[in-house]
Amino acid sequence: MATGADHAVGLGLVGFSLLLFTYYTIWVIVLPFVDSDHVVHSYFLPREYSVILPGIAALILLLCVGTFIGIVTWKNRKSKKVN
Amino acid sequence: MTSSLCVCITSSELAQSLPVSFTMTKLLEWLFAVSLVGVAWGLVTFDLLDFQFPAVYREVAWPMPVYLLVVFGCYSLATVGYRVATFNDCEEAARELQGQIQEAKEDLKKKGLKI
Repeated sequence: MATGADHAVGLGLVGFSLLLFTYYTIWVIVLPFVDSDHVVHSYFLPREYSVILPGIAALILLLCVGTFIGIVTWKNRKSKKVN
Repeated sequence: MTSSLCVCITSSELAQSLPVSFTMTKLLEWLFAVSLVGVAWGLVTFDLLDFQFPAVYREVAWPMPVYLLVVFGCYSLATVGYRVATFNDCEEAARELQGQIQEAKEDLKKKGLKI
């Protein structure tokens, strides 16, 4: 059994992904079947954002991955020059 | 597992049968399934065959690709988190191993090996 920080981080990830899944499922699948004057609609953004926000998140993720690869490659190239 | 599909072509002029074999790879299977699902989604979202579904079905269908991606991402995150939380950590064995490494280093230093 993992201990301490590992355990906490793991459970945190599980909890976060469950929350995200529930919120997103309600937003995309449940809301269209709910009357438009129900109070639950006030907790959710307009439907277009359910596609735009994950798109932006994916772009940011790609940016981070690309930046990381760029930094590592640049560092490697410098050390090769010195050698 | 692959399944082979043999197609025989006979030509009246050649009067010969030319066997052509076609192997269905896993990639092709996946692409086939994905394109089927994609066509079904396109039909519902853009109403290409003019079925005129009730508006609710179109409302649910059009974010489907993004929704499936997000669900897959959530599942991956949950799996990674769960396996991190239940990882079989052996702290005592780790400490013992570190001690043995130190011992070996000192022993080799004494015998002249430079580390």
